[in-house]
Amino acid sequence: MDVQRAEAGLEGLSFGFLTTLESAAHGLFGGYLVVDALGRPLEFHCTAPVKVSRAQQILYGPTLHGHLHGRQVGGALLAEGKVTPAVVLTDNDAMLHVRPHTHLPLALVRRGAAEQIAAGFLVGEAVVSPHAEDAARADELEARLATLAAAVDLCEPFERIRAALDEAARH
Amino acid sequence: MTGIDQLGDAGPLPPVRSFGGEAFALPRIVVAGGCELALPVPPALRLPVTLPAPVVTSLEPLPPRPKVQSHFFSRPVDVAPPAAALGDGPQHLAPAKVCRGEARRARIAPPKDVVKLSERFFYLLQPDLETMLRGGKLAFPRQPFPFQFEGMAFLLPRHSAVLADEMGLGKSMQAISSIRLLVRSGEARRVLVVCPKGLVSNWARELADWAPELVVAVIDGDPARRRWQWSLPDVPVKLANYEVLVRDRDLVAELGLEFDLVVLDEAQRIKNKSSQTNRAIVSLDRRRSWALTGTPVENSADDLVGIFEFVDPGQINDRMTPKAMAGAVTDHILRRTKDKVLTEMPPRLDRDARIELGPEQRETYRRAEEEGVLRLADMGREATIQHVFELVLRLKQICNFDTATGESAKLERLTAELEEVQASGRKALVFSQWVETLGRLRENLSAFGPLEYHGGMSTTARDEAIRRFKESRNHSVLLLSYGAGAVGLNLQFSQYVFLFDRWWNPAVEDQAINRAHRIGAAGAVTVTRFLSASTIEERIDEVLRRKRDLSETILSQADGPASAGLTADDLFSLFELAPPRRAAA
Repeated sequence: MDVQRAEAGLEGLSFGFLTTLESAAHGLFGGYLVVDALGRPLEFHCTAPVKVSRAQQILYGPTLHGHLHGRQVGGALLAEGKVTPAVVLTDNDAMLHVRPHTHLPLALVRRGAAEQIAAGFLVGEAVVSPHAEDAARADELEARLATLAAAVDLCEPFERIRAALDEAARH
Repeated sequence: MTGIDQLGDAGPLPPVRSFGGEAFALPRIVVAGGCELALPVPPALRLPVTLPAPVVTSLEPLPPRPKVQSHFFSRPVDVAPPAAALGDGPQHLAPAKVCRGEARRARIAPPKDVVKLSERFFYLLQPDLETMLRGGKLAFPRQPFPFQFEGMAFLLPRHSAVLADEMGLGKSMQAISSIRLLVRSGEARRVLVVCPKGLVSNWARELADWAPELVVAVIDGDPARRRWQWSLPDVPVKLANYEVLVRDRDLVAELGLEFDLVVLDEAQRIKNKSSQTNRAIVSLDRRRSWALTGTPVENSADDLVGIFEFVDPGQINDRMTPKAMAGAVTDHILRRTKDKVLTEMPPRLDRDARIELGPEQRETYRRAEEEGVLRLADMGREATIQHVFELVLRLKQICNFDTATGESAKLERLTAELEEVQASGRKALVFSQWVETLGRLRENLSAFGPLEYHGGMSTTARDEAIRRFKESRNHSVLLLSYGAGAVGLNLQFSQYVFLFDRWWNPAVEDQAINRAHRIGAAGAVTVTRFLSASTIEERIDEVLRRKRDLSETILSQADGPASAGLTADDLFSLFELAPPRRAAA
């Protein structure tokens, strides 16, 4: 489905950006922004804050972040998306745990240099590392993301999401 | 003898007490002599056999899934121009150069008066303006400066805005580009630009330059023609001067014209709340109100109240202190100065040329001042501001040219300066308060090919003078009146500015100087202010220097003096005279 849309050209091509904002007062906010190939917003979804108790932290132990980001927040956000993006990018390691809860290809994006690439590729000055399940689609994803990177810095939409989540936290 | 002779089978057993459900018997004890020693019945004991159920504390797992709020964007902001607008001439924005180390780009931040979260999200989630424009391949005749993008990002989301950049920073370009984006995105379909009469052709040129695809109707001509122009339905931008708007106020109302945006250039023209111009402007039916002015506070803080009657009625009033006023308007005003945003701007060299009057001119001046002051003194309390004003004007004119002999120390100095300007292939602007002075200068400076530009000329003649001055090497000097030449003109190819005489208000002088010292200036701009030594000109200069900073004071949110120009008291003090008593308020 997403490949078909991508092949339709720029008109149908879209990209998802998934990240979180930790607020000391409110808890964890999640945000999911879908943009078109020119970086313009198509959809935005954000969660109510999730606050984790100390006991929950102890009981979930090291599995907490993966569960919270992947299943709880990330899963909830992706479930609300109406547009099917070519790929969902996140700048948060813990968010990679969302992969079992979605059929969309997922990749971690970080600012970095070519020599920092371990299992990924460079788009502009951003290092993109596809989720292990999507590693085989790396070439396809690289081509799609190069289209977007001609218009926007791949790390920039996360700043927009955090600005919106920060606004939501203050609202 | 007592003793225990038998233990055991000594008769029926005593009643058995039960302990915890298990029965057992105590042995009967019989001692010798028939005495029976029975042990006392022990107290009942109950031993718990089963443990009570413990109190269980359940820890809730994380909630199933947090509630999600969704926002959908019906259509992205489309800024792509038609193919016809994309020629070779205009510059397109360069491809994205992104990430680390790049200067912060202009974002469209939501104004404070946008309170709904979904509307704030709309602005926060847009890419930066340069990315939006690049995506749409919008063409510009010249690459805008980063601060100009910020100016557009300021204007675009606002319904009430004052762009108060210092002269020469490109207010009109920022406004035109913002108009263009609003029209392209469908946010505005009917835009009205109002400017001073002398700037209409300038605005028409700038609109054609910065928004070539927008159809513009200039409202002028006889009443029938203007009615037809006002009624044109499919023209996105209409351009009118203030006088036309005052004249056509009833017609605009009769036609029921509504505007998505009204832009006022040189908005200080409406600073007087009770003026016809102000009333005509504020009566316009409009959704957005933008004011452009380099001098929002020209004379006093009240000027800003008049402008805000248009921009955001009721936001401020003339009873507020400058500080309170500044707080109330801060989200609506954007003010940048050249020294803050244009580090690459060529330097401006200011110098005061103190001119010693020649003997005859000095004598004429001395006589005129003595006679004038004596006359004022004789009038006593009958002397009015008008009398003083007339004397000041007369003395200033003598400082320019001796009314008896025609001698002019300033002219001699100017001629010497212009010889150097001409020899170096440069161009100069000369400003005067009087058209008559400009005429005399033209007669005396014929060697420099002088051209005139003042309000007594037709618009066509003025435009032609600018064109010739710009294009021909035979014209080294342009002679301008402050009234007509201080606003709106782009003369950045001139490297020298001479203020032959001084205006009453430093803000107007700054506007004049900034015709040359603005974006695109090729090199350093030298500004020379002529001051006749030991005359009224020196005294006026001293007063103006003391008052020069009011505008900046208000705009930097601090308390300041009440006026930047010359007041009645100031004028009387020039001759060490007491002002007439005023009636109590």
